[in-house]
Amino acid sequence: MGVVLGYIATLGVYFCTYNIFALGLNIQFGYAGILDFTVITFMAMGGYMAGVASLGPSQPGSGIYYILGLSLPWPLALLIGAAAAGALGYAVGLIALRRLRSDYLAIVTLAAGSIVLGIVGNSNGLFDGFEGLVGVPQPFAGVLNLSPNSYTLFFLGMCAVIMVICWLVANRIYNSPLGRTMRAIREDLDVAEAYGKRTFRVRMTAMVTGCVFVGIGGVLTIWFITALAPAGWGTSETFVVWAALIVGGRGNNLGAVVGSFLVAVLFNEATRFLPAIPSFPSLIPEIRNMCIGALVILTLWFRPQGVIGERKARFFEVPLRTDSLDLAPAPAAASTN
Amino acid sequence: MSGSSPAPQPAARPAPQPAGQKVVDEILEVHDLVRSFGGVRALTGCSFGVERGSITALIGPNGAGKTTLVNVVAGAIRPQGGKVLFDGRDITGRPSHEVALGGLIRTFQISREYPAMTVLENLMVSPQRQAGEKLATVLFRPGKFRAEERAHVQRAVEVLAEFGLYGKRNDYARALSGGQKRLLELARAVMADPKMLVLDEPMAGINPALIERLADHISRLRDERGTTFLMVEHNLDVVEKMCDRAIVMAVGQTLATGTMAELRGNSEVVSAYLTGGVVEVGAKG
Amino acid sequence: MSLFLLTLGFGIVTSAVLALAAVGLSLQFGVTNYVNFAYGSFLAFGMFFTYTAQTALHLPIWLAAVIGVVATGLVAVVVDALVLEPFVRRGTSGFFLLIVTFGLSLILLNLVQAIWGVGFDEFQVAAGNPVNIGPFSFTAAQIWVVGIAVVTMVAVHLLLTRTNLGKSMRAMSDNAPLARATGIDTRKVTLWTWFISGCLAGLGGITLAFNTVEFQAFTGNTFLFVIFAAVILGGIGQIYGAMIGAIIIGLVVNFAGLVISSAYDLDAAFAVLVLVLVIRPQGIIPTIGKA
Repeated sequence: MGVVLGYIATLGVYFCTYNIFALGLNIQFGYAGILDFTVITFMAMGGYMAGVASLGPSQPGSGIYYILGLSLPWPLALLIGAAAAGALGYAVGLIALRRLRSDYLAIVTLAAGSIVLGIVGNSNGLFDGFEGLVGVPQPFAGVLNLSPNSYTLFFLGMCAVIMVICWLVANRIYNSPLGRTMRAIREDLDVAEAYGKRTFRVRMTAMVTGCVFVGIGGVLTIWFITALAPAGWGTSETFVVWAALIVGGRGNNLGAVVGSFLVAVLFNEATRFLPAIPSFPSLIPEIRNMCIGALVILTLWFRPQGVIGERKARFFEVPLRTDSLDLAPAPAAASTN
Repeated sequence: MSGSSPAPQPAARPAPQPAGQKVVDEILEVHDLVRSFGGVRALTGCSFGVERGSITALIGPNGAGKTTLVNVVAGAIRPQGGKVLFDGRDITGRPSHEVALGGLIRTFQISREYPAMTVLENLMVSPQRQAGEKLATVLFRPGKFRAEERAHVQRAVEVLAEFGLYGKRNDYARALSGGQKRLLELARAVMADPKMLVLDEPMAGINPALIERLADHISRLRDERGTTFLMVEHNLDVVEKMCDRAIVMAVGQTLATGTMAELRGNSEVVSAYLTGGVVEVGAKG
Repeated sequence: MSLFLLTLGFGIVTSAVLALAAVGLSLQFGVTNYVNFAYGSFLAFGMFFTYTAQTALHLPIWLAAVIGVVATGLVAVVVDALVLEPFVRRGTSGFFLLIVTFGLSLILLNLVQAIWGVGFDEFQVAAGNPVNIGPFSFTAAQIWVVGIAVVTMVAVHLLLTRTNLGKSMRAMSDNAPLARATGIDTRKVTLWTWFISGCLAGLGGITLAFNTVEFQAFTGNTFLFVIFAAVILGGIGQIYGAMIGAIIIGLVVNFAGLVISSAYDLDAAFAVLVLVLVIRPQGIIPTIGKA
């Protein structure tokens, strides 16, 4: 019983973290049309910075080296992780969000991702190189003294609260004039610019906000597994988030939720518990990655809008007085082009 | 040059305005604009002015540099030389959004609606400097823009009714017909409350009935709101009917300006354009 | 001084590898007007087809390489015809094409890994004695790499300037609708472009494998953004630009490895990429009429 519950709670935590990633990517891509092909790098940045903020100072001689080591309480670590992810997003945005072709933007994010991976992996003093951080303290773990399963349940509750807050924030942005302007920029950047929109600033807002979301998800991830190493954030992890958003329905936060459940939980995480084939230990992850790639391509072919597509915006209108109402049928197709 | 003058000449400037003479109030002044792409010289010293509250046409043969001019004026392309003054301010080389925030809105040659947004939303994007476009306001003070938003919805609905698009307000813009997209383009521009609208071939490819409707809308906007219009237009009948003045461009320069009647008397203009004769367009092949 | 020359020599070899891969990517980019993020997996196919042809079929390396190159070209054609072309014909926007190629890269790289395993492999070639050319000292494999690159660049040049196919490719690169209107069979030209792009990727992969000695499924993919850097430096779709870009990036990467640390040599390519995007996003040879 306890094992099953613990397993479900674990999947629940993954659902929450992936949902937060997907919401972050939705703000970037679904709202503002920014092709961020390195989502997971911002997850790592958030996780690492929260890790070194909450860990004690690096002990010389322990063989584990990292910066800071501030022993901060978890709320501050969360803030630092989120801010660090946002700052990295800002730096990438400075290069990628100049008025360039969207392919360049994607290339820059991809390249920035491999650079950060290389730097973090190769410098042992930053986050202990390719070994990564271990033993990151979990919030309230020392105070509550729960069994691992009970703690997982408690942690799930904490993740759920943070997820709901993220969801509300994402929705509020979507329904605001800011979200509307982001979508207008997604639809046609030049036109939005010609209508007085500061497109660079608005896109940067989307980029940084999305990265902060992803960073928060990263903080929750490192808290949950208490460790993080560069091997855990490759391109395929980024693609899982993309798959969640594309399958669920970009531009719609509910779609991001559904997609996180379908792809990240049912498909990606649940299959991690399948027994590995002894002679081909990597075969199952390889097949899973291929399936996720295929899932995205098939979704884009058969249901480009995703399971739950973007909904039409509705406004509260005071009915017009009938005399001012021009109900004459608008001119029918009049174009020759 | 500047260093060669030995003694200061305080009396020389500024040049006094000739007293008593009526000065034309020009909302847009363009001086000696130069711009080339690669080896192609699109603008070769173009100068003109647009009177406030007028409907002015910009005509000229293909390749005369009209669209380049619109792009330079609207800030989409930087000029390599010359000056653009709008409403008394130097906007030369300023980015598009600054030009737009100053009150000059341009439209594009092909209709470029926001396709996956509703017609009403297309209009709701236009109002400038919306309070709800700041992240901090959205997150922490959502009450601050609620009233403004409601006012914008109301106004957008009214503008849509004016343009006969009220019934389509909740349709996706991509679902509109070509003609409706033209109307949307204009309605969307009106929502931005511009001082001046620069329209790049608003009548291209639409039927005569709709041309008349668009022309009526443009005249009405000028009369009711005092909006100044500069429109690139090929249809000379339209220009004759609705425009106060026309600027004739050829080979990247202003050939002449005046009313259509005056221009018809200008032999240079007639030979270059009005007779429909082919004109040498210089470097542009 | 000798260290400088040694690095210059390595730089030339890296440039040769990069030039092969960059020209292939740039060619397809120019003709179809979207980036192929699955290009890194094509490099992997080139390496492993050759590897299998050599080890399983016991073919001489040159024949194995020919088979590897052609087979990679066919993979590219299949990928285009089966997946990308249908999306293009449907009018899918560039945004989503990029995501599709991104998904394809995940599928293909994992496919390579599933077939050939996760471990490192290497070609079986006799080491031979280093050959001295002027002040430089090369291994036989390195001389082959540079030689293949030079011959291939000349061949690409002749293809583009002397053949109808090449002229059609250039026409499509300049203005696809116009090319179609003038009666060019754009469908056929696109397929040929993918074939040639795949062949060049295969060749780039094989030469990369010679250069790094050991290789695995993701070796080509880590190299991908260095290829992008060369392509963007040269200007989108500019074949000769890509060649120049490859030489510059190849030298920069190797000298950065010498001056800073070999762990950060790829970062130098990124630095160049950033610099180009900030200062001259259209590349050193801009394409007229393309943003």
